[in-house]
Amino acid sequence: MDTPSRHATSTIDPSLLALVANGDQQAFSQLYDHSSSLLFTLAVRILGNHEEAAALLQDVYLEVWRKVSRYDVGRGTPVAWLVTLTRSRAIDRLRTRTARGSRATPSLEDGAAAQLDDQGPSPFETQTDQELRIAIGAAVAGLPQAQQQAIELAYYEGLSHAEIAARLNQPLGTVKTRIKLGMSKLRDGLQRWWNHGERL
Amino acid sequence: MTHEELEESVPLYAAGALDRTERQTLEAHLLSGCASCHSALKDYQSVAALFPLGLSPTRPPRHLKAAIMSGRNPAPIPAEATPNEPARPSLEPGEWMNHLFPPIAPARSWSLPWAIGVATLLIVTVGGYLAWNAVAQRSEDTSNIQQLEASLQDKSSTLTKLQREIGDQATALTEARHELQERSHETAELKEQLAQREADLEEARVQLSQRSGARTGGTPQDELATLLRIPNVKVVSLTGSDMAKRAAGFLLYDARTQKVWLYSVNLPECPTGTIYQLWAMQTKPVSIGTFVMDRGDTAHLLVKKVANFTDAKTFSVSLEPSGGRPQPTGPMYLLSRS
Repeated sequence: MDTPSRHATSTIDPSLLALVANGDQQAFSQLYDHSSSLLFTLAVRILGNHEEAAALLQDVYLEVWRKVSRYDVGRGTPVAWLVTLTRSRAIDRLRTRTARGSRATPSLEDGAAAQLDDQGPSPFETQTDQELRIAIGAAVAGLPQAQQQAIELAYYEGLSHAEIAARLNQPLGTVKTRIKLGMSKLRDGLQRWWNHGERL
Repeated sequence: MTHEELEESVPLYAAGALDRTERQTLEAHLLSGCASCHSALKDYQSVAALFPLGLSPTRPPRHLKAAIMSGRNPAPIPAEATPNEPARPSLEPGEWMNHLFPPIAPARSWSLPWAIGVATLLIVTVGGYLAWNAVAQRSEDTSNIQQLEASLQDKSSTLTKLQREIGDQATALTEARHELQERSHETAELKEQLAQREADLEEARVQLSQRSGARTGGTPQDELATLLRIPNVKVVSLTGSDMAKRAAGFLLYDARTQKVWLYSVNLPECPTGTIYQLWAMQTKPVSIGTFVMDRGDTAHLLVKKVANFTDAKTFSVSLEPSGGRPQPTGPMYLLSRS
């Protein structure tokens, strides 16, 4: 087993991606150790299935390995790049599955109940990660239920505001407003992290 | 879409809530270099990237890492050697990253030509709109300036008219003043003429009175009474000398008729062979006339015509031999004040 260094998932050093771009397998292993738990959690949340999430993650990391040279540190942090890539590919899979007539996205409770054994923080998670996890959890929990619901439907299920409005039987403008207000509140709530230069 | 609408769609974009068309529109706007939207997107994307950290962490299967490590190619593919890949419906992460900051170099993604085309179209559209707006604004400004100039000309014309009216009124006022002065002069002349006419009338009355007096036996006292009512009659008083301290008299001179009226009282009786003679003391004494005071007379009225009465400085009455003398030779009985 590889021996990872104690770096926070939220603060992956961009130089690690540079090493990966040069074909450094050790660096690629470290990148996986620092990010896989976060990305897998996201994939499971979107796909609602561990096996599919694992397959997705395999594709994502292979894509990272092949396209890591495209990453530009000046245009975003490594974690933001990885999270966005994972979410995009997960939403693609979700839409493909929906188009095939497969069952709808399982609820979070379903996925969580089936994977209780795998739950828990990553062994590589640092105190910084834990504090940030608490901060984002508190910020999301502080949102009104309607705003939280609208954001989650967009972010985790890939629904547009029109689709969300149809799903919730709410006016389109109401849904837009809920998402905008919710995002604005989350941004303000996480200001402390931004002020400390720990933006993802 | 307006910029405000685009800016409001940034948090929706970060949350993944925009449909494909809206997303492409915003991406084109971001590629056009809108700094404020880039900044907003950076903030909101940072928030969105944190969402998975808020989930209950789930560890991947233990075998996954080994599968990944064994399944990858010997080396990463350089960015320039992009293989032919099927089009993906979702947003490429590299493209998304471009939106966090303004692009430094041309983005190397499959949608770049489309994005550039949309951006160019937007720039042309916005530029055309701005140009049209500038032309419309210039046209409106020109119209406003023309209206202002027309209004200014009207005001100037009105002002000129008012100034001309004021000048006319000033001229009329000056003429009125001149006319008033002329009227005043005419009034003064009329007053003088009126006084002259009144004097003539009074003279006519005197003459009429004299004639009627002659016909009806009127006395000089009546004529004297009439003379006293005529204005501008010159009066000279005479007082008695040491020869006749109780005597007195006065002279009345009517310039219109050039007559001198001497009214004397309390002069002594003229001794036989003597008379009183009235003198006008000019450069030399000039005799005006003689009269006699008989016994018992207390007053006498002498009326004579004198052409140059006003040239005399003083008057006097002396007692002279009968018939009078060319120069005073006897004692003075009445003297005027110098």
